[in-house]
Amino acid sequence: MAVTGIKSGTGFAGAAKRRGAGGRPRPRLRNLFSFRWIAAAVILIGWFVYYPIVDNFIVSTTDQDIYTGEVTNVGLTNYDRLLQDPVVWTSLWNNALYAVISIVFQVFGAFLLAAMIEGLASEKWRRFWRAIYFVPSAISITVTGLLFYFIYQPEIGLLDAALRGVGLDVLIRPWLGDAQTAIYSIIAMSQWQGFGYSTLLFAIAIQKIPRELYDASIIDGAGPWRRLWNITFPLTREMTGLMIIVTITGAFQVFNEVMVMTAGGPNNSSQVLGTWLYQQGFIEDNFGYGAAIATVIFVVTMLTGIAQLIYTRRRRVQF
Amino acid sequence: MKRSMQIAAVTMAAASALGLSASASHAAGKVVVADPDAKVEYSGKLSILTKFGLQVLSPYFTDLAKEYEKLHPDVKVELIQESDDSVKGKTKTLVASNALTDVYFSWTGSWGGNFVRGNRAVDLSKVIGPDSDWGKTLVPAAVQAFQYNGKYYGIPLYLDAKFMGYNKQIFTKLGLSAPTSFEQLLSDCDTIRKAGITPISLGNKEAWPALHYIGQLLAFDVPRATLERDFESKTATYDDPGYVAALKQFKELSDRCTDGATMNGVSYASALQAFSNTKSAMYYQEIIEFDQSAAPDTTLKAADFGFFVLPAPADAKGDPKAVEGAPEGYMINTASKNIPLAIDFMKFVTTKEHGQVLSAPPYGQPSATVGGASESNMSPSVVEGLKVLKSASYLMPWLDTANSPRVAQAWLSNLQALVDGSMTAEQVMDKVKQAAAADAKK
Repeated sequence: MAVTGIKSGTGFAGAAKRRGAGGRPRPRLRNLFSFRWIAAAVILIGWFVYYPIVDNFIVSTTDQDIYTGEVTNVGLTNYDRLLQDPVVWTSLWNNALYAVISIVFQVFGAFLLAAMIEGLASEKWRRFWRAIYFVPSAISITVTGLLFYFIYQPEIGLLDAALRGVGLDVLIRPWLGDAQTAIYSIIAMSQWQGFGYSTLLFAIAIQKIPRELYDASIIDGAGPWRRLWNITFPLTREMTGLMIIVTITGAFQVFNEVMVMTAGGPNNSSQVLGTWLYQQGFIEDNFGYGAAIATVIFVVTMLTGIAQLIYTRRRRVQF
Repeated sequence: MKRSMQIAAVTMAAASALGLSASASHAAGKVVVADPDAKVEYSGKLSILTKFGLQVLSPYFTDLAKEYEKLHPDVKVELIQESDDSVKGKTKTLVASNALTDVYFSWTGSWGGNFVRGNRAVDLSKVIGPDSDWGKTLVPAAVQAFQYNGKYYGIPLYLDAKFMGYNKQIFTKLGLSAPTSFEQLLSDCDTIRKAGITPISLGNKEAWPALHYIGQLLAFDVPRATLERDFESKTATYDDPGYVAALKQFKELSDRCTDGATMNGVSYASALQAFSNTKSAMYYQEIIEFDQSAAPDTTLKAADFGFFVLPAPADAKGDPKAVEGAPEGYMINTASKNIPLAIDFMKFVTTKEHGQVLSAPPYGQPSATVGGASESNMSPSVVEGLKVLKSASYLMPWLDTANSPRVAQAWLSNLQALVDGSMTAEQVMDKVKQAAAADAKK
């Protein structure tokens, strides 16, 4: 079919008119095109991320009976109850403990270990140690929980048997059954499992540091500690910041580890916000109160994340 | 733009914390009465939530489902099999998300009462009531246990009760016999401990095993009417001195007969294993666990297994002939699209033949079907247990299902503190009273 003519404002000619010099769309149109492409993502994020946040807050202002479906608006009563609930404070403390201990081991400890591994001359040994430390991270939390249950078991457990073997009977205790040691025992298991993963991430960050910087520092007479402190540490700062965010956020979202090992016991001594939320919502039928606890978790992790992001943006390093 | 994207990323990470509390759409069920004349359409899917998740029990429903599908090729039976611990959380998750299965497991007492209150359970009075054809095939007391407001809502599958299992060989060796009083039990524990054997293995990591002792002791120490009044938070007072007495008795038992505070770090299953491996002389267990305690592959053999009802203290003010236990069964979801099919499947499950399979090893769950608990193929200990159960003057319901969830949790967590010595019996009762008072205000 022969083309007999092109009307102004339509077809190719129209498209050409909407474009600026060089055939590029004008800025406003360009923005419209961009929004079209990201609209789907925005809708999905809005529906699956932001809507549940708002909905969770709404639920937290209600008292719900899951059996009858009755919903009673109670305003901020659940938040008032939350402030007076001693288990919430125990949980917050346990989450904070989780975060602090995890930062020590899974951020700074992992950083040191990664630096040591990457400092090895042989690539074969570097690979070997990376793999060795990463293996626990590949084991599911249920299996790990069961494994550590048997390590901590007071009658046949490895830990008490080892203590007995070296004459430290005074330290023998039911690690998970003692209110004084339950949460520390769980945190210890978590370090064992997460340490290798953090080490691997730090190893990748260290590998990105240009070798010339180390070579130059060696010529200048810098020893291993000086190189670690003046080159490796500052140049992996972004990864350190990211790991701190992930660790703190993870510490306030911890659930599986506690659920598998103690379910929050004995006498709620190892409860964390996640397990207390679960207990309130799914065991005690207090969905509204559970949602209020979820809001606290959200606020804590959100604030931590924003603070850390601002900090790392200011101190970003680019090669 | 970059900063807002980063903040959005942090928000997403934090928002994932809310995943556990994702709110459910709530819709109250309607009252549904089962029609005995309804035609059964043998097609479609039938979902069932069982409490037979343990490896040794799960084949029972799996085999029944296969058999039923073979009889009715257009029916697909989908099983969700949970353990005793996980079925509680699973059931509530399904209720909250309006995704409850067509047929679901239920305890008696307030647990089952919640489904009735929320119109989640089909009124089965016309099909399973005592005068119905199906009802006549079931043990009357078991059917009665699922009666609420004069109507019948549950299909009892088996009878359960708590007994103290003991190793006859150890008892004989030490010149002991089954104790007839609580005081004698304590003194027997001293003798057994002196012989270097753990008298009672008790794993209380899950918190409810200790509560089972309390349930039986409360039946001994507190008059029945008072107990039943206190099950309801709105009428509860918990001022009977028998409550504190029962807690003190349990504390003494835990100090003299068990490994004490260590129990909070030992799982229920590990304690059972210790008894089965003859590492302990006694183990407080449900009748449905008899066949697991002494099985062909355990060190403890069936011939050496004996049991007795936890003996009552000398000055008990309650009912010394009460036994802690209750039938357990299933309910039909009012939202089920195929209620007649669900009822038909449960009739199939509760036939005499299937009851006999359920009662025999390895399952050992005394069937609630008349003739289902056949002495010919059941373990002698289960047969004996069933006789004791039937002669009990009162069946004390499990405390964690008889009370509201909040009160049950108060019992559970504070008992762990009683065991490790960080709380007294009086302090535990204060916490239980507080929980009941808070619950009554709702």
